[in-house]
Order: sequence, then structure tokens, then C-alpha cells
Amino acid sequence: MSKTLQQKNTRYLLTWLPIVLLIGSGLFFLILTGHADHMQEKQLELKQQNIWKAFTVSGESMPMKIEGEYALQKMTAASEQIKPKPIATDSGYTILSKQYLLNGQTYVLTTFVTSKEYTHLLIKVFATEIIIFILILVTIIVVNRSSSRRLWRPFYETLHATGNYDVVQSPAFKLPPETGIIEFDQLNKELSLLIGNVNKAYNSQKQFVENASHEIQTPLAIIRSKLDLLINEKGLTEGTALLLSDITQANDRLSQMNKSLLLLAKIDNNQFPEMEQVNVSLLLNDLIANYEALYDNFPATELKIQEEVYIHANPSLIEALFSNLIKNAVVHNNPGGYIKVFLKKGECMIENSGQNISTDPQTLFERFHKGNAASKTTGLGLSLVKQIAQLYGMKTDYSYLNDIHSFRLSF
Amino acid sequence: MAWLNQISPKSCRSLAQSRWMKLLIIEDENSLRRSIAAYFDQEGFLCEQAGSYGEGVQKAEGFQYDCIILDINLPGGSGLQLLDYLRKDKKTEGIIIISARDAVEDRITGLDLGADDYLTKPFHLSELFARVKALIRRKYAAGNNILEFEKLKLDLSLKTLTYNSEQVSLTKNEFEVLLFLLTNKNRVVSRQAIAEHIYGEQTDNLASFDFVYSHIKNIKRKLKEKGAGELLQAVYGLGYKISI
Repeated sequence: MSKTLQQKNTRYLLTWLPIVLLIGSGLFFLILTGHADHMQEKQLELKQQNIWKAFTVSGESMPMKIEGEYALQKMTAASEQIKPKPIATDSGYTILSKQYLLNGQTYVLTTFVTSKEYTHLLIKVFATEIIIFILILVTIIVVNRSSSRRLWRPFYETLHATGNYDVVQSPAFKLPPETGIIEFDQLNKELSLLIGNVNKAYNSQKQFVENASHEIQTPLAIIRSKLDLLINEKGLTEGTALLLSDITQANDRLSQMNKSLLLLAKIDNNQFPEMEQVNVSLLLNDLIANYEALYDNFPATELKIQEEVYIHANPSLIEALFSNLIKNAVVHNNPGGYIKVFLKKGECMIENSGQNISTDPQTLFERFHKGNAASKTTGLGLSLVKQIAQLYGMKTDYSYLNDIHSFRLSF
Repeated sequence: MAWLNQISPKSCRSLAQSRWMKLLIIEDENSLRRSIAAYFDQEGFLCEQAGSYGEGVQKAEGFQYDCIILDINLPGGSGLQLLDYLRKDKKTEGIIIISARDAVEDRITGLDLGADDYLTKPFHLSELFARVKALIRRKYAAGNNILEFEKLKLDLSLKTLTYNSEQVSLTKNEFEVLLFLLTNKNRVVSRQAIAEHIYGEQTDNLASFDFVYSHIKNIKRKLKEKGAGELLQAVYGLGYKISI
């Protein structure tokens, strides 16, 4: 799962730093106790030396035992050998016993130091160390977070600018060339270059489509005029007439496609700057009436059109948009089907009965996509709808359920 | 119609029920220009042709025409410039612009400069012909808005039709279809041309020519009821023709 850079960074720190610090604490504890033991041993030995020295001087007049300090014992021969090693006792002392020889008599001298203070000191030092380690951990994470936030700021700015970039809607793309970080300067430079190229390619493509469509108009006009002359030739047989009819239809479809492409290119090139309040209620009623006159078996209509609904846009484009939507609902209808048109402020819905489509609904809006391969349409109608809707920030929605197609347009 | 050339202008006038119409076609595309000329020739127009701005100016200045068909993109200058020049020169010919540019502004600019009509390429020759005829009617037959073809009589301002002085009630579209066919009489007019004539640019969105068929069917039926013969013929699924 993806996380932000900062989250990732904090997570790494939170995983590895405590481990390192824990190992550090363990080592510290070992070394600390080692040093403390050593110190205790030295203390006990020093005490032994001093007491034995005092005993050799003052002899038996010295007390043989002082609680918590030392104990002197005469040893019988049977006594076993003892190792001169510090031993922790249950009574809260650490003791060291050594054998000494004075005037043929073997003595065992045991010296005491309290082990309570020693344990307290160890705990205190270790606790302080833990507090310092936690402080270090928190500081490292906080400093790291704030510094990385500052370091990565140019990157996030670049990311934001790139996110807002759209080759169609907002091709203007400006990134600061100086961020103070070489890598980001380079990133911005490369991105600016890349997007400059994208814009260039898109513009030349737009220009190409427009120029090509313009150039195609003339040969189309020539073909059409020759066909007009040809169908009036004397001695036309039924066979040639059929051929001519097919040519005429193909040529008309070509002209129609070309006109749609030209319109798309013009929308791309922002050649429809004039805007006005378009009365959609009137427009829809007119369009439906027109289409009803055009088709012999026009589907049954159910209209719920609220009056005085306006869109601020270019009137020709709005007409093209709704005309295409309605035509779509008519052409892709079932025989004896129906069309429902709902219009209210901010929303228009066109619903029609029709056959199932097998493709992904979103692809219907792509250029030259056809829901039905056999249909003699240009495959550009819905992509025009999408383009116009996009231009004015409207939302198009298509859904299909139980042989009912519905297009929703929110504006 | 080469035989027509041998007939004196006077007899021609009576034959065509009017004087010879003179037409200047300024269009740089040879092939398209020849098509237009051929169509109008067959209709008894006298056609002059020009393929460039300079040639256009020269021909327009030298003679008086009834109508000029003007392309916008011309070698040597723009058709709009030529239009401006002619209007400033007090030339009053009817001018129809034919252009591949269909933007509203182009249309408005053209009409503002004094063009009488604007037709976008590609167009049907029958449509261009109907536009020219309508323009000539508007310009030269002031007040006379009655068209007569044998027993058919069309009142263009009231949009009514009588056959043998009997009123035939047609819808607006049926009237327009009939007028279009009559204007292009004795010629096959394609279904597409009829569709575009009635519904203009919007026909681009049509996948069906059903309505042309039903209009024709209705006109035929209504004329038959008044006793008119088979005036309207379908030609092999290509289109329709009125023979008089």
C-alpha cells in the first residue's frame, strides 16, 4: 500500500531507531554493571588492605567484627580454602573474604560493602539513559519530519502544478526554475520540457485535423457536384442508378464525418467564444418537434421540460449537444420504443429504450466508437457531446439498465 | 442545349418566359466551377467563369450579370475583398458566396459586406440553383410572387398552391419540397438535396430520409386528389423529378 514520503520516512525511523537504541541500552547496561562491579571489588580490596594493616599493628585489641564493615575469624586447619571473589549476600551486602597468615595463625578477613546503594545508582543511571534515548528518538523524528517537509516542498508544488495541468483545458504550465535544490530544478526543467512538447504535439494535431478537414471539403464538394450532374445523365440504367445511390450515400457520410471533425477541431481551438443565455427549454422542444417531423416511426415521447431553463454558452454548440443527444436516442431506439426527456434547472436527462450494448459505457464517448457496428452513423456524435460538455464544465453520465439507456447531463 | 444558341434572343425570351440570365462563377477549383457552369448551362443560363481574383474583377467590371457566385479562397485575393470592391463600385448584382468555411462569423462578415446569400461547401447543385433562382426572383421580380407551371400555381408569399384554380392544402415543408422540385424541374433531385434544402445544416445529423419519402408521398396524393397526373416521379431510389 502506498503511503506518503513522510509517513514512510517516519515509519522507517520508528522501526529502526528503537532497535538501535534498545541494543544501545543493553550494551550500556552491560558496560555500566561491569564498571560498577569492578569499582565494588576495588573498594572491598582497599578495605581489606586497610583493616589488615590496622590488625597487624594493633593486634587482638581491635574488635574482631564490625557489622557492615568487616569480620575477622581465626581459621582451623580443617577449614577449606576460599576464593578471593566478591559475593553478593542476601542481607544486602557484597562481601570479599581473604586468608591471611600472622604468627602462624591463619585468619579469614571478610569485608562488606552495601549493595543497596550500588543497585540504586545503577537503576538511576539506567533510567536517565532511557529518558535521554527517548528524547533523542522523538527529536530525531520531529526534526526529520519538519526538515523533510521543507525539503520536499518544491516537489509537492511541482506535483500540484502537474495535477492541474490538462492539455485541453489548461495547457498553460509554469514551474519555478529555481527551487534551491538541484534535483528539483532538474525535475522542473524536464517536466516543463516534456509538457511543452505535449502541448506542441497536441496543437499541431489540432491544427492538422482542422486543416485536413478544410482541405477535404473541396474534393467532397466536387464529388457531390459531379454526382448531381451524373444522376441527370440521359440513359441512366437502374444498375448505374443503384451504384450512384451508394456512392452518394457514402459521400454524404464522409461529408458529415468531416463536418463533425471540423466542429470538434474548432471546439478544441476555442473558436466559439461568443456566449449567451441559451433557453434550453425552448431549444429542446424545438429539436424534438423537428426530429418528430423527420422520422416516420418516431418513438413515443414523454416530456417533462421545466420552462425557462438557461445555459450560458455558445448557442450553436448547445444546439449541437442536445441535437446529438436526441438523435442518439432516436437512432439507437427499438422499433416501437420510447424517449423520455426530463429537464430542470441544472439537469437534463434523456432516456430511451434500446438494445443492449456490450461495450464499456465510457468508450461510447470516444471518437469513432460505435455501439452498433452496423449503424450508419459517424461515431462522432457522442464525442461531440462530451467535448462540448467538457468545454462548459458540464458532467455527462451514461447508464444502462434493463434495456433502458439514460444520459444525464448536469450543468 | 447547343441548339438554343442558334435561336435569336427574342425567341429565347418567350421560350424561357424571361430574358437570358447571365451568371458569373468565380471559383478557383476548375472541376467544381465546370460542374456549376454545366448545371446552369443546362438550365439556360449564360455562364462566365473566372478562376482567380484578378480575372473575377476584370469580368465583373466588364459586364453586367444577374448573379455572381463567389468563392472566398481565391488565388490573388479573398472573395470577401472582391465582394467589398464590387459593392463600393456600386455593382448591384446578386452575389452568392460559396465557401468551405462555415463559421457563423464568416457568414455574417459575408452578408455584412453585401452578399445576398451564403452557401457552405459541399453543396448540392440543385440547392445552389434554387438559391440563385430565389435571389433573382427577389431582386428582379419585385411584387410578382406567383410562380406558374402549367396548371400549378404557387404563391410564394402566402405559401399556397392551386391546381387548376383549386386550392391544394400543403404543409409548410411539403410546399418547400414542391417549390424546390419545381425550381429544378425536369431534373433528378437527390433525396439528400431535398433533405438539406428543408432542414439545412441539421440534416448532417440525420441517418434517415424517411421524411423526404413521406413528404413526397403526401404531395403526390394531394395532387392526385385534384386530378393532376403523375407529375412526380421517383428515380431508382436516387431522388425525385418533376417533369413538365
